[in-house]
Amino acid sequence: MGLKQTSAQTDPGDATVPAGPPLGNVVAPPIPALRGDAATSSVPGALRNLVLAAFLLYCLLPATWIIAAMTKDNGQIFSTFGLWFANPPHFFENLIGLFTYQNGIFLRWFGNSLLYAGSITLGSTLICAMGGYAFSKYDFPSKQLLFNFILGTIMVPSTALVLPLFLMLNKVGLVNTMWGVILPSLVNPFGLYLMKTFWDSGFPNELIEASRLEGANEWQIFWRIGIPLMQTGLVTVALLCFVGAWNNFFLPLIVLSQDSLYPLTLGLNIWNSVSSAAGGKPVYNLIALGSLISVLPLLIAFVVLGKYWRGGLTAGATKG
Amino acid sequence: MRQHRKTAFLFLAPFLTVFVAFYLTPVIYAIYLSLFIRKRVGIGPAKEVLGGMANYVRAVQDGDFLNGLKNMFVFGVVQVPVMLGLAIVLALLLAESRGIFMKVCRTTFFMPYGIPSAIGALIWGYLYSPNLSPFNQVLGALHGGAIEFLSPGVVLFSIANIVTWTWTGYNMITLFAALQNIPTELYEAARVDGATHWDIVRSIKIPLLMPTLKLLFIFSVIGTSQLFTEAFVLRPLGYVADNITPNLYLYLTAARDANYSYAGALAILLALLIFVISGPFLRRISSS
Repeated sequence: MGLKQTSAQTDPGDATVPAGPPLGNVVAPPIPALRGDAATSSVPGALRNLVLAAFLLYCLLPATWIIAAMTKDNGQIFSTFGLWFANPPHFFENLIGLFTYQNGIFLRWFGNSLLYAGSITLGSTLICAMGGYAFSKYDFPSKQLLFNFILGTIMVPSTALVLPLFLMLNKVGLVNTMWGVILPSLVNPFGLYLMKTFWDSGFPNELIEASRLEGANEWQIFWRIGIPLMQTGLVTVALLCFVGAWNNFFLPLIVLSQDSLYPLTLGLNIWNSVSSAAGGKPVYNLIALGSLISVLPLLIAFVVLGKYWRGGLTAGATKG
Repeated sequence: MRQHRKTAFLFLAPFLTVFVAFYLTPVIYAIYLSLFIRKRVGIGPAKEVLGGMANYVRAVQDGDFLNGLKNMFVFGVVQVPVMLGLAIVLALLLAESRGIFMKVCRTTFFMPYGIPSAIGALIWGYLYSPNLSPFNQVLGALHGGAIEFLSPGVVLFSIANIVTWTWTGYNMITLFAALQNIPTELYEAARVDGATHWDIVRSIKIPLLMPTLKLLFIFSVIGTSQLFTEAFVLRPLGYVADNITPNLYLYLTAARDANYSYAGALAILLALLIFVISGPFLRRISSS
């Protein structure tokens, strides 16, 4: 079942009846009455654009609220319509407020997020590239079993890991340290799986054999010949790691208790808890602006690296 | 080939090291912990004593845990199909669009996936919050009504909406890429045979999307079982029950009640359940 079989079936004769149970008799023999009748017409263009535009607005709704809210002071957030700007605007006051509130801890959180995401992305991508290479290019005992086992662990809920992990980190003194966030995040079974599929398809075994004959050792083949050919795969896995690490919330929530170590996700939520608690000073205006700034690096990465997430992100899923 | 075995191991060593240290060991530790129960002996403080399967017996009778599982099930049969259905429709429509509008849609639909769920949930929380919600501002202006998005009966749907908002675009992009992989000769041949647009969608596109769709379904179910952040982030803003998702419940069991052994048992049970549900699917997908 899948693309591999059916894509081979380009013979026009039976093309409308690809193999596979879901299809069966649906297409039956061509019905003459339908011939020429709306054969190429699709959903009317206007309806199509209407549906797409409606979903576009839905996607942008939270962004609209944030952009409106960042022009407001905290009183206006409650007193004015949520999806429209404030008059007079307070954008610059909010900007100054954001970077000075609690001695400018926001900037610190931003730096922490960059440090966490950067080191996790570098480390994890490298580890996955090497591991995926081993699974793709070498034979060793119980290889398939080990690979399936690693892949199967994707199903383990994060809570199952993080809580005992906290107790273990506590014993070795890594609780409330940056390492406590970075080291466990290096494990990325899905990244390993993706890298293996990229190595499978992007680095022919003949090239390895040829390089061996020319006297290159395995390490040189990996670094000098393999890695330069793997750019798409590496960027894709790195992008996935970065998104995962930048968005990480649960692990820092458990591991960190000192607010100067928080990443943005955790810091802004602490502000929200304080703002929403009875007697707490509300800073929803700062949270709104801070939220916007916290997603900028990812938005930039997505726009700049568009072709990677469009093609590469789905490589694992379409591989079938 | 023997020396290559050693090389293979060296390439694999970094992954295996972190995998064993930060993935496998915690799971084994959780299993070990789950065998203990807290017991008060005499008048001293409670002690952890070996309890065998006692935590597991307690878990399968625990109304809070079962309620979380029930919500997870509702998610699986309502939110996941709605989200994937929406993703298919959007992918099909987008595949027929051209030009700048298509590109804007493609990028914008995907954006929510890149927004940290802790931030996305926070902003949706404000859109839901009784004091802030622009929806209720509009409703209030129209006829004085309001929807309590964060009230017990509605909050599960409010969370479902956040998850749908976050993941529909991701699923759509994956299906969109799978659509691009279908050779166009198939459509041409079908048209020659007199197939209408709908025939092509029903009989070529959807069936050929099925393997991708099954994989996305399984990933969504696994994601559903791990629901935590959205519920956790909404807690300060409204009424979110402790037992709304299994993960929130077991987090509170450990972090608030400090009952690590019981939380460990809950985690193991949850992982087993997911394994039983998604294992057969994954096996079928990987063997095809």
